[in-house]
Amino acid sequence: MEEHKPMTTICEQDQHMVAAAQNILKGLASSKSISNELRKTLLDLEIQLSTMSTINERKGNGIKLLERELQFVEDRVKSLETNHISMASSSEYLKLVGEIQTLTQTLQQNFCSVNEKWKHKELVQRANEVMQVVMSKLEEELVQILVQNKQYFELDYMLFHSNSVDMVYDESYVSIEDEQINETSRSSDDGTIDLVNPSVLEDLKSIAKAMFGSNYHKEFCHVFIASRKYALDEYFVILEIEKLSIENVLNMEWYSLNRRIKKWIQAMKIIVQVYLVSEKRLCKQVLGNFGSVYQICFSEISRCSIFHLLNFGEAIAMRTHTTENLFCLLDMYEVLDHVAMDIDILFIEEVDSFVREEFHKLLRNFGDSIKSTFLAFRYAIATNPSNKCFPQGGVHHLTRYVMNYIKALVEYGDSLNLLLIDEVSTDPTASNDNSENSNLSYCSLACNLRQITTTLESNLCNKSKLYTNEALQHIFMMNNIHYMVQKVKHSNLCNFFGDYWLRRRVGMFQNYARSYEKVTWSSILSMLSDESVSTCGTKRTLKKKCKDFSVAFCEVYKTQTGWSVVDTELREDLQISVSQKVIHAYRSFTGRNSSDIDEKWIKYSVDDLQCCILDLFQGSSKSLHHS
Amino acid sequence: MPAPTENNPGSFLGRISIRRNQVMSMDGNHDQELEDLELFQKHVGDRFSELFSSTTEDPSSDALLSIGWLRKLLDELLCCEAEFKAVVMMGRDPSQISKPPLDKLLPELLDRVIKSLDVCNAVTLGLDAVKNLQRLAEIAVSALETRPMGDGQVRRAKKALNLLVTTMIHEDKDCGSTKGTERSRSFGRKGFNGGNKDRGGGSLRALSWTMARNWSASKQIHAMSSNLTAPRGAEATGLASPLYIMSTILVFVMWTLAAAIPCQERNGLSTHLPFQRQLAWAQPMIGLHEKIAEEWKKKEKKGTVGLLEEMQKMEKLGQSLTEFADSFQFPGDNERLDEVKVQVEELADICRKMEEGLEPLQLQIREVFHRLVRTRTEFLHVLDQAGKLSTPTM
Repeated sequence: MEEHKPMTTICEQDQHMVAAAQNILKGLASSKSISNELRKTLLDLEIQLSTMSTINERKGNGIKLLERELQFVEDRVKSLETNHISMASSSEYLKLVGEIQTLTQTLQQNFCSVNEKWKHKELVQRANEVMQVVMSKLEEELVQILVQNKQYFELDYMLFHSNSVDMVYDESYVSIEDEQINETSRSSDDGTIDLVNPSVLEDLKSIAKAMFGSNYHKEFCHVFIASRKYALDEYFVILEIEKLSIENVLNMEWYSLNRRIKKWIQAMKIIVQVYLVSEKRLCKQVLGNFGSVYQICFSEISRCSIFHLLNFGEAIAMRTHTTENLFCLLDMYEVLDHVAMDIDILFIEEVDSFVREEFHKLLRNFGDSIKSTFLAFRYAIATNPSNKCFPQGGVHHLTRYVMNYIKALVEYGDSLNLLLIDEVSTDPTASNDNSENSNLSYCSLACNLRQITTTLESNLCNKSKLYTNEALQHIFMMNNIHYMVQKVKHSNLCNFFGDYWLRRRVGMFQNYARSYEKVTWSSILSMLSDESVSTCGTKRTLKKKCKDFSVAFCEVYKTQTGWSVVDTELREDLQISVSQKVIHAYRSFTGRNSSDIDEKWIKYSVDDLQCCILDLFQGSSKSLHHS
Repeated sequence: MPAPTENNPGSFLGRISIRRNQVMSMDGNHDQELEDLELFQKHVGDRFSELFSSTTEDPSSDALLSIGWLRKLLDELLCCEAEFKAVVMMGRDPSQISKPPLDKLLPELLDRVIKSLDVCNAVTLGLDAVKNLQRLAEIAVSALETRPMGDGQVRRAKKALNLLVTTMIHEDKDCGSTKGTERSRSFGRKGFNGGNKDRGGGSLRALSWTMARNWSASKQIHAMSSNLTAPRGAEATGLASPLYIMSTILVFVMWTLAAAIPCQERNGLSTHLPFQRQLAWAQPMIGLHEKIAEEWKKKEKKGTVGLLEEMQKMEKLGQSLTEFADSFQFPGDNERLDEVKVQVEELADICRKMEEGLEPLQLQIREVFHRLVRTRTEFLHVLDQAGKLSTPTM
C-alpha cells in the first residue's frame, strides 16, 4: 500500500470504480469468517482508496474509514495489553506503530470540511493516545531486551596475571543470564565483542526506528543510556575495580595500593580497547541512522566510568613517590600511552573534548611524576650517606641496588627516552667515541643513565676514602667498578652505555688493581731487591731481609685474606698477577743469594707463597702459623 | 602601591605581578607583608560581598544557588586561591613556611584541599544525575508543548514527570545513604533481578554516580571544618591569617556545592560552619551561609535532591504538572491550559539553562580540582625544599 500515492487527477470513471471497490471491501471486511490478518489487509486497501476519494471531495467516507481503522488498532492494542502477551510480541507492537504512523499521516494529508473538523481532531487525538500506549510498551520492551541480553566477557585467568603490556587477550564471553560460554558471540577481527546478544540487534534497531519515527527518541535515549551505563558499571564490579576516594588513595599503604594498580592497568586496557570500542559499535549499530545521536549516547554512557578510572590515576600521580614506585608509575604511564590513541578515536567528537583533555592531562601528570622521581633517584644516590666502612671492600649495596635498578629501568627504555628528552645535559663521556655501534647510547635515557653511574662512582669514591688502608680503597673501587661493568656487559644496558663507556670502566678497574699491587706489594718486593745487597752483602742483612719479608707477607696475608673479591675471575686474575710478581721476585732473590741464605731463614717455600696468595681476597680472615 | 580599584577585577593578574616584584625587593619588610595581608582580606571580603549582594539587590542577575551563581562562586574561589598563593608562596623563603605555626597549619590546609578534591568529584558525578533529570524534564516539555493537547501526550508527560519526581526523591535517598552502594555491589554478576516491577528507565540508576564506599559528603565537610580555628594574638597578623582565610573559603565553597548538587551521603550535612563573627572579610560569607543554611534546614526535612535553584524549580513544576496531568480530561479547561503553558515554558527554560550551564559548571569544577592539585604539589615542593635546607646533606 505504500506504493500508492494520492494522485492529483482521477477521472470520473475511476471514481466510480473506486467507490465500487470500496463497497466490496467493506462488505468483505465486515464478514465474521475472515482472519484478522485478512481483515486488516482489506481495511488497508479500503483506506487507501478512501484517500484517493478524499482528494476528490469525498471526505465523509474517508473519515469514517479512518475511524474504523483506528478502532481496529485500538482494539488490538487493548487485547495485547489485557492478554499480557509475552514480551516477545515486540514485532506485534512494531507493526501497530507502522499502522498508526500511516493513519496519522493520512489524517494529516486529509483536508476536511468545517463540519468534519471536530471529528478529524478527535481522531488525531485518539491516534496519539494509542501511539502513547504502544510507545510505552515498546519502552518496557526495550528495557527488557537490554537487560536480558547484555553480555560480558571474561579474561582468561592466566592472561589476567601476565605482565606483558601488549598481551593479546583471549576473551571468553559469558552471558549474564546462563553464565555459559557463548562461542557465537565471539566476534570480528577488529577486537570488538558483542555486548548484547546479536540476535536481538535487529529488534533494537526496529524499536529505535519506531520510536525515533514517532518522535519518542528522547524516551529511547533515556532508557538506552541508563541501561548501558548500568551494564558498564556492573562490568567494573566484575573487573574488581573498587571505587576509592582521593583521600583513600593518598593514605593507603603502597603494598595494598599495588594490587589495585595492577587491576587498574588491566581495566584501563580492557575498558578502553575492548569494552568501549564495542560499546561505541553497539551505539552505532542501533542508532547509526539518526545522525550524531549515537555519539551523544556513547559519550553519556561512558563518561562517568572514564572519570572514575582517571581519578584513580590522578590520585596515584598526586602521591609523593619513592624510587621503588617508579616502576608502578611507568606501568601506569605506559598503559595510558598505550590506549591514548584509542581514547582520541573513541572521544573524537567535540562534546568529548573534555574526556580527551583530561586523559592527556593525566598522561602528562604521570610523565612529570616519572621524570621527577627519576631525577630524585640521582639526587638520592649523590646524597647516600657515607659514614661507615663497607666491610671487606666488597661490592656495596648501593652499587648493587643502583645497577639492578637501572637494569630494570631500561625495560621501559622507549617511554623514558621520550620523557627525559629535555633532561639531557652535555655528557662528555659519550662524545669522543667514533666507533659506536649502537645509536642507543646517544639517546636521552643513555645520557641520564651514564650520569647516574657517574654520580654513583663519585659517591663510591667518597665511601672508599673511609678506609684507612689505602690498598683496600683500591680493592673497593676495583670491585665496584668491575661489578658495574659486568652488569652493563651482560644485560640490555650495554646498548645504552656503549663500548666507549665499557672500555673506560675496564681500564678503570684495571688501574685500581694496579694501584692496589703498587701500594701493597712494591714496598715488600723492594725488600727483596738487589741494591742494598750488592754493596754490603753481609749475612746479617740477608737474614733481616728474609725476616722482614716473612713478617710483611704474614701481615698482608692476615689482613687481605679477610678482604673480598667476590667475582672469581677477577680474584684469580688479581692473584695470578700478584703471584707472578711476588714469586718472580722471591725466586730470583733466593736464587741470587742461595749460597748466603741459611735454610732456616726461609720461612716459606715458593709453593707455600703460591698457596698463600690463593687464600687472599676470599673474605675470611686467616693467619699464618709462625713455625 | 596604588590601591586597586574594586570594580576592576580584570586587573587582578596585574596586581599579582606588581606585588610579586615588591615582595622580591622588600623581602622581610614586615609592613609590606601586613599591607599584603590586609589587601588579601579586603579582596576576599569584596568578592563575597558581590556574590551576596547580587542575590539580594539585582533581580536580573543569577539567583542564589543557580547554576550561574555557582559558576560565579567558583570563579571567586579560583581568584582567591590565586591571590592566596601570591601572598603566601611567591618570593618567599621556604624556611618561613616550615616554621611554626605554619608547620601545623599548612598540613591542615593541604588536608582540606584533599577533602575538597573528593567533594569536587562527588558533585561532578552528581551533575551527571542532574543531567538525567534534565532528560526526563525534556520529555515532559516536548509532550506538553504539543498542540492540541490530548490524553496521549499528557500521559506521556505524566510518565516522564512521575519518573522525574520519584528519581529526585530516590536520588537523594540513594545518594544519601551508602545502602545504595552496597545494594548495587551485591548485584555482583546477577544483574537485575527479573521480578523488579519498577522497571522504568529511572530505576536503572547507575552506580557510576556513587563515590567510594562509605564516603560521605557531610563527614568530609565536617572534618574540613571541625579543626578550623581563627589565629589569635600575634598570629592573626602573620601568615597564619591567609591560611585561615583560604581554609574558610574552601570549607564554605565545598559546603555550598554539597548542599546544592546531589552527592553521596549528605544526611546531617552540618548547617553550622565555624566562622569568626568579628572578622570583617567574613561578613558576606556569613550572610550567604545563613541564607543557604536556612534553605537547607527547610528542605532537609522534606528530603530534597539539592538546593540547586534550577532543580528546586524543576521539582516544583514537576509536581504541579503531575497534578495537572492526573486531573486532565480532554480537551481540558482553557484557563488551566494557559497556566500549564506558562509552566511548561518555565520548565523548558530550566532545561535550556541546564543544557547550557551544566557542562561548563562541570568543567569549572574540574578546573578547581586541577588547581587545588597543583597548589598542593607546589606547597609540598616548598616544604620539601625547606626540609632539605634544614638538614643539609653531604
